[in-house]
Formats: sequence, structure tokens, C-alpha cells
Amino acid sequence: MKNYLVIQLARFGDLMQTKRLLATLCARKDAVVHLCIDNSLQSLAYKIYPQVVIHPVAAHGTGLNRSEAMRAMLQDNRKAFARLKSIDFETIYNLNFSGLNFRMAGLFDPEKTKGYSWQNGQEIVGLWPSMAMRWSKFRRIAINLVDFWAGYCPDMIAPESVNPAAQGKGGGIGVVLAGRESRRSLPANILAKITATLGNSGKVDRIVLLGGKSEQAAGQSVIKGLPRNLQEKTKNLAGKTDWTHLVETINSLDMLLTPDTGSMHLAAHLGTPVKAFFLSSAWCFETGPYGLGHTVYQAVSDCLPCLENRPCNNDLKCLECFTDPSFQRFLVTGKPEHAPAGIIGFKSDFDQLGQIYTSFAGINTDMEQRMKFREFIRQHLFKDGGKISDLEKLFAERVYREKDWMTFPQPIATFG
Amino acid sequence: MKTLRILVILPFYGGSLPIGRYVTSALKEDGHLVEVFEAPDFYSAYDSLKNLKVTTDRLDYLQNSFLNVISQSILAKVETFEPDLVLSMAQAPLNHQALKRLRRDGVTTAMWFVEDHRLFTYWKTFAPFYDIFAVIQKDVFFDELYAVGQPNVLYLPLAAQPDFHKSIELTSVEQRKFGSNISFMGAGYPNRRIAFRELVNHNFKIWGTEWEGDHVLEPLVQLKGARISSEDCVKIFNATKINLNLHSSIQADELVTFGDFINPRTFELAACGAFQLVDKRSLLPEAFEEDELATFSNMNELIEKIEYYTTNPKECEEIAKKGRERVLKDHTYLKRMRTLIEFTTERIDGWPRQQVHSKIFSKDYPPELEQDIRKLLKKLNLPEDISFEDLVWAVRQQQGTMSDLDTAILFLDEWQKLYKERN
Repeated sequence: MKNYLVIQLARFGDLMQTKRLLATLCARKDAVVHLCIDNSLQSLAYKIYPQVVIHPVAAHGTGLNRSEAMRAMLQDNRKAFARLKSIDFETIYNLNFSGLNFRMAGLFDPEKTKGYSWQNGQEIVGLWPSMAMRWSKFRRIAINLVDFWAGYCPDMIAPESVNPAAQGKGGGIGVVLAGRESRRSLPANILAKITATLGNSGKVDRIVLLGGKSEQAAGQSVIKGLPRNLQEKTKNLAGKTDWTHLVETINSLDMLLTPDTGSMHLAAHLGTPVKAFFLSSAWCFETGPYGLGHTVYQAVSDCLPCLENRPCNNDLKCLECFTDPSFQRFLVTGKPEHAPAGIIGFKSDFDQLGQIYTSFAGINTDMEQRMKFREFIRQHLFKDGGKISDLEKLFAERVYREKDWMTFPQPIATFG
Repeated sequence: MKTLRILVILPFYGGSLPIGRYVTSALKEDGHLVEVFEAPDFYSAYDSLKNLKVTTDRLDYLQNSFLNVISQSILAKVETFEPDLVLSMAQAPLNHQALKRLRRDGVTTAMWFVEDHRLFTYWKTFAPFYDIFAVIQKDVFFDELYAVGQPNVLYLPLAAQPDFHKSIELTSVEQRKFGSNISFMGAGYPNRRIAFRELVNHNFKIWGTEWEGDHVLEPLVQLKGARISSEDCVKIFNATKINLNLHSSIQADELVTFGDFINPRTFELAACGAFQLVDKRSLLPEAFEEDELATFSNMNELIEKIEYYTTNPKECEEIAKKGRERVLKDHTYLKRMRTLIEFTTERIDGWPRQQVHSKIFSKDYPPELEQDIRKLLKKLNLPEDISFEDLVWAVRQQQGTMSDLDTAILFLDEWQKLYKERN
């Protein structure tokens, strides 16, 4: 029996996007896979990863004062840490660039820890995440986060076997009101228009609005913006779903309309078709829905993808393509000639490395570079680096650093 | 006493290196949080540059670049550790640029210059860049330091570390190996080479380096002049009936130079309860009373006293006992560090800076957890009233993997940093 631990202390969406890595580890012979997550995601994790041993810890700041935090960290977390320390892990995959992850890594031998480790009080960033930090400078190219995390394992399972191909389940349309970053989400009036267009274009019996408590008012605004015939079919479930209910609801839908959210990844996990709207800092090549059968409407302009923590100096011009009246028509027809300026329509697909998106409308200007980059990464991961093009040479110069190969811990044994 | 954060910068090598380690032990013993910059770890890489066979200007450039990396490493450590004091030992690899940066950033710096200023003249360029300059000489050196722009000069003689320099039981094998009627432990300086020729007929062992090429003394030199570890020095001191302690001089005209500073061996031998014959120094009378140390002024007196004390072992024991008591009372590194800290407090306005310190325990603290944390404080040799922030750093200093409690403490600290604005 071999124990593997994945430490994923980020949010809902990140938990979902860890699936290919977890599935890869589960597919190994005699593997027992452990997953350490924030305790707010505990019941969801049990539901979506039943074959994995879940280790919840208090990592997020939700609603704890100092005294409560002290107890949560020093008593509850300590017990979880003791449990983890008692297990002899083959490998620990520590996924998040965060002080919390570095501190947790202190429990384990840094030689066995991939990603972010701790060596005698020093935080150490591994080679693979270091490379990702470097290529984040050319974000338009990117690779999907699901594939990036799976990239810790050279034996990663085929991308097709991660999520089921999406197909409608007969339960109507789901609408996710907003993600954690409001700038990445569509305003209620636009969401209402999109919902109305798609709701009236097919025979829809039910529309459910999904989100947290803070989106209840946005849900009401969406309902107000819908034609009366759809208002009657619409339920505002914002703030009313626990994890079980959310999973059941999304698993029943014909389609989920959503910005880049955890619910979008949950839909992909369940095989529910997604129509996703990506704008601002959301870039589908990084965090688009994983699997076949999904559609992404990606806003494109020179300033995208931007950084969430920086103010927008362009009056959110990436929103314009969604407010353009022709977008509604494009949603229905999917014809390239109906696509407004500043948008690309993508269908989800796979290549050897993992998730890709193939354009069906709009101009996919970065495609060639992206393909070359993916080839460069593929060669790196699968130790298949026999060829090089000019573009790959450029990537090699930007993504590899001298220290990577000069101090590589286990040189590939060319001479046995 | 307030727990301070002190970053000790060790030199690459040399006499001030073991002293830096004793200083570190003493500061920890006094409950301070100490980080050490281990310069010796970097020295082999620096030294390897000399094997390049490149032009001298290239070598010079490379060496300076390397030393710049070292200084930058120290600055990075300062940035993370946020010390109240950066304490450099003599020859610490902290360059001018780094010292200027520390001053600009308001980080208090001190150097303990445990060298003879007449021989090691580089103090002229470095002294003004430190906030505090502690020295082992007085008078003219003080004036010179004032003149060069260093107003905060402290006389801080060397000392002993009692948990290391102590009386020990030796095995019969060790007694045979390290023992003799007379011994000398130290380097082969010119005055010592001449002086010790007069003692070749005694049961005399010479320990230490740089004795090559002296055919008269060669048969007395132990272990072929190998470097002796600090641990073995203590064994030699303990195993010897009469330990000679002749301060070094680079000239051989006067064998006993009546210099000023007192060497570390004087304090170390006394702390071991070992009997020594030491040459007179101008600063010796304020450190020891006459009945606490046996001294000599010239070679004739040395030879006479060797003969006298050889036949009066009880007297040796009495003097050694008093000498040891005096060292334990007044001449420990713990005392020296307290003096340095007091002096820094007097001289530097607003030092040490007030920092945010949270208490570890609150009223409703779970008793079992409190008990475990108190055990941890004991294990880490930390005072019970240490702040949470200092505990976090002390936990971080540990080597190897961490325990569940260590991790939970560091995790809580990170959590507080992440979410502090919400609480």
C-alpha cells in the first residue's frame, strides 16, 4: 500500500480542478490517496471524491475571531496534523503558493514533497510551480490548471477519463449569478437577457439561479429582467443550497450558464453542459471547464487577461461584447458571422497534454503560439524533447532558468 | 529582561568564529531569540575561486561579486527576521553597501572587534558604519575610533563560556594523550618560538598550528601541528599541570610584550579551573586580582615560577579555584552580552524598537494545550513570557520536520497574517 497526500487549501473551484491529479494517483497500483482541504469544503469533498481519504483543516478566515482561530488551529488542526504526520506518505503534493501550505509542508520530508516545501525553516518553490510562475508572464498562452496540477505526475491519466462528456439531463437551465470576483461576472441585466434568450430558444421548464447569500438580491434582479413566462419558471436558490443540494441541482440540468466559478467546475465534473462567460481576469485557457461538450464565450482585448487586484483603466471594455445586441443572436445560432467584435466562441476539446478549446467564431490569434507552447510543455513533462522549433526555443529561454538544470537533483541517467 | 531578536554574523573562519558561537550560546541562554549567519558554510565556494587560473582583475571581480551575494543574503535574513540588533564578529562578511542599507533602514548594528587593532587595521574603514563598536583594547584605540567617526565605543574584554569551558573528568587514555606537566595551546608566533626554546627540557607539550620549521620545538609539537578543536582544548587545559599562556607577538625582540588586551585563553583556562602562568598585560589587573592568576614578566620569572608551582600543587589549586570563581562572576559571555545590550540601550535612542507582541496565553486557554506549549517553551529554552511572534520564530528555527504542535503554531501565525484585517 502506498499513501499519497494532496494538500489543496484553496477554494471550491480549485478543489474541483484537482481532479485529474487525484484520479491519476487513485489509478496507481495499491494507492491510498489522501486529500487535505479547508473544512468548509469537507462535505463536498466526501461527495465528489468518495475514493479519497479526506483530511479537513481550518484554513480559511470565514467568520473566525482570534480566539476561535486559536482553538481551530492549535486544537483541531493540530489533531489533523498529527494524523497526517503519522502516515508514511510516498509523496506529498502541496499545491498552493501560500504561507499556510508552506507551514503544513513542515510536517514532511522536503525530499518527498512536490510543489511547495519547507526545509529547515526555508520556504522552497519546486521546479514545476516555478516554471508556471514564469510562464504566467505570457498568460494568454497558458495551460489549464487541471492539467497543470496533474503535471506533477508523469503518469497522468488521459484527459478524456477525467470528466464525463457533457450531456443535458432534462432539468432546465441553471444560472450562476456571480463568482468570487465580481469583475469577472456578468451584471444581472445582461445575465437576464442571456437567460431569456436561451430560455426562449428551447423548451425550458425550469430555471434555477445559483449563488451564495450575498447574491440573493442579484437573483431577484435577474428574475425582474426576465419575460413573465420565464419568471414563473425561475427559482432563486441563491443562499439556499448546501453542497448536497447544489450537486443534485447541477447534476439535473440541461445547461449551466456561468462565469468562471466553482459551480462551473462542478458541472464539468458531473457532465452537465456548461456555457461559460469569461472576461476580465478570467481566461479559459487557464481555468476553463474541463471535459468535452462545453462552450466558452471568451472576451478578448489587448488588456486581457488582466489582474484581479488591479483597477481597470479601460471602463471594463471586455464587457461590451456581452452587451452588444448581436451577442444574443450569436448565442442562439453560434454562427461566426453573428459573433460581436471582441469575443471568441470556443468548444472544449483535448490534445495529448489535456484540455484545449477550439474556436468556432472570432479570431483565435494566439493559437499557433499556444500550440507550440503546449508542445514545449508536453516534451518537458513526458521527457520527449528531441525536437525544437523557433517558438519553442523562445519558450525554453523564458521558462527554463540556469539553476533548474545546473542544480537538478536527479540528473536523467543517460549512461545508466 | 526583554527578549531581543539578535542576528549574529559569523566570520568565514578565524579566532572570532568560536567566540561568535559562544556569544550565540550566551544570548540564547539569556532568553534572546538568536539567528546566526553561518558564513563558514560559504567559504569553500569562495575559496574555490582562487583555483580558476584567471586574470587577477577577473578574480578580484568574482570575489567581490561573491561577497556581495553574501551581504545580500544577510540583508535578506534581516528582512525576514527583523532583528533588534545585527551583531557582527570581527571579519564578518558584511560589506559597506550592506551596512549603509541597514543604517538607512534603521537596523541597529554592532561589531565586536575581538582583534588587536594595531595588527588588524581594517577597522579604519568599517568602524564608522556600525552603530556600536565593541573592542578589547582601550585608551589610544578609543581616541582613534572617535577620530574616525565612531562615537559609540565600548570596552568589552573577551570571556569564557562556562557550559563549555569547564572542569571535566578525563579518562586515563585522554589524560595520557592530552596531559603533561607543562603545555602550551596556540599558534607558533615568533615570540613564543623563542621563549619556549628555554623549556625543551621539561615535560612540555605544544599544541596548535604554525609551528613548522622549528627543529628545536618540533619534537614537542603534538599531532604534527594539526588544528585543535575547541573541545580538545578544554581537555588539554584540564589535563595539564601548568598551562602556559604567553600572549602572541609578531616580533621576537621582546618575548613578554606587556601588551594591553587579554586573550580568550586566559578566561577559558580560568573557567576550566586549570592552573595557568600568564604574561602580564596592562588590562589584566582590572580583570583579575593578584591571587586569582599567576603571572610572569620575563622568561627568568617564568622558569622560576614553573619550578615553584611544580612543587607546590596545592597553591596551584587555590589560585585556579579563585580564578575560576572570578570568571564565573565577571567574565562570562553572558555578562559581556548584557553589557553590550545595556550600552546599546544607553547610546541608541529608542532602542530596542517597540514591536507588536501578542501574549501566547489568554484567560480561557485550554489547560492541556497550555501545558504542551509550556513544554515546548522549555524545550526551546524560551522564557515563559515570550511573545507569540517570538515563539513563532523560535519554532521556525528548528531543523528537520516539524511536530503537529510546531506546525499548528506556524499555521496560526500565517492565518493571522492572511486574515488580520478581518479580526
